[in-house]
Amino acid sequence: MNLRDKHLWEVVATGLLLGALGVLLSLWGNPENSGICVSCFMENSAGALGFHDNPRMQYLRPELIGFVLGAALSSLAFREFRSRGGSAPLPRLVAGIFLMVGCGVFIGCPIKLFLRIAAGDLTAVAGIAGLVAGVWVGLKGLASGVELGAHSREREGSGFLVPAFFVLLLMFLVVRPGFIIFSDRGGAAEHAYWPISLGAGLLLGALAQRSRFCITGGVRDTLLMGFRSYMFSGTAAFLTAALVLNLASGRFHPGLAGQPGAHTDHLWSFLGMGLVGWLAVVIGGCPFRQLVKAGEGDADAGLVVIGMFIGSALVQSWGIAATTAGVPLVGKVAVLVGFVFIIASNLMLRERTA
Amino acid sequence: MPKDAYDRSLWFLLAVTLAALVLVLSGHETGSGKNRAGLDKALERQMAYQARVDLIRKLYGPAESLLQAGDFQGALFKLDELARQYPQEAHGSILKGEILSRMGALEEALASYVEGVRLNGDYVDGKSPLSRRTEIQKVADEGLRVIGSRSRANPGNRSLAVALNNVNYLRSRLAGGCE
Repeated sequence: MNLRDKHLWEVVATGLLLGALGVLLSLWGNPENSGICVSCFMENSAGALGFHDNPRMQYLRPELIGFVLGAALSSLAFREFRSRGGSAPLPRLVAGIFLMVGCGVFIGCPIKLFLRIAAGDLTAVAGIAGLVAGVWVGLKGLASGVELGAHSREREGSGFLVPAFFVLLLMFLVVRPGFIIFSDRGGAAEHAYWPISLGAGLLLGALAQRSRFCITGGVRDTLLMGFRSYMFSGTAAFLTAALVLNLASGRFHPGLAGQPGAHTDHLWSFLGMGLVGWLAVVIGGCPFRQLVKAGEGDADAGLVVIGMFIGSALVQSWGIAATTAGVPLVGKVAVLVGFVFIIASNLMLRERTA
Repeated sequence: MPKDAYDRSLWFLLAVTLAALVLVLSGHETGSGKNRAGLDKALERQMAYQARVDLIRKLYGPAESLLQAGDFQGALFKLDELARQYPQEAHGSILKGEILSRMGALEEALASYVEGVRLNGDYVDGKSPLSRRTEIQKVADEGLRVIGSRSRANPGNRSLAVALNNVNYLRSRLAGGCE
């Protein structure tokens, strides 16, 4: 590991800030252990736009807007914004839907998975095992010739569509037109003051764009290169920052029982995160990374983001989401259908040598 | 940047369309308010929710009065009647939990609270007008202390295991999180 490499410190700084803000945003008003959770925020935002009618899960999360716009501004400032796309658009869109299914059954995205662990929630251990297993299986697939195909450079306009959509969401957040719905109770009613959330999102989006930080990317690189990979250092920094702040603020409660927003259906936690890990390897990044890539002009990641919006709405409308009471039958079925999708995709997308 | 006449006309049209958009939006703001009211889903929903809360208070008022007067049996009888009419209404389960808790039937009270909270999470939400967070927290804490120790002493007891699961469910809901 080259300690003089600027990129290493960019990755570590992103990890530290992600962990710190993940805890601080909870302290400032976001739900417990959900200071940052891309899937929860997606479900909240889909609800605010009227895509589902759970009155406790509707709020246009400024962090989400910040991730995309921060990445867009950073990529423009550093001349890295490039409109690109055309690599298996529909499979990516469907993958986005199933990413949210996996997260909904686990109750949280890979970022929240680590935030839960850092708060002492031992039910998340099954999720970590599932995520690592999913990434490992995904890597086996890549090594065996599974790939979605190369991106092609597109005309400049297409890469701006997703950032433009998030600018529109920002306007909705500020102006608050009547058709946007904000919960006045439940998890979505718990939020930090929106300029703080937006600022945190912008900062993290910009840093993640520079560092290419990704949770599943961290697991992937660690499996491939061992502990000397930069992403491992970033993930370790993330966990350390979150753990230290949780301990300092008295929010570290180790145990299996009574954890906020968690269930004890360990098999389904494992499978939910396993599905997320496998999908993320095939499409090139966790839900957070997809938002950042969409911000820097990647229209393929943009389609994953749209898929994630659709998935978030379905997770709530069809009762797929797990609750503290456990994983509903529909959720279990949806995860298994997700596995059917990814297995079939691997079979069809594999380039076989004669 | 515009390179020819077609580009220039497109830029011009874009500017005109954006100006029209601003005009339409500003006209809508200062308009009669008819359309605005039609679109204000938040207000509509708030009113519907308030009406629901008022209806619940009206329906369950007699049972609550009996409970406050200490007539637990009468209150339970009234709640049974209401449960037949409104089987999916959480408020009855919450009140039943409160009555059973006052009667000292801790395991049954926990089961009843769990049933109510599963049907409607508003009861553990500090911001909801229906909130019974303090009462539920008290029963969950007592459950952890009493049932936790009994469960450790009798690890094979299934009913204690179910009651402990109920305690943990309530603790988890009270701890918050996003769901």
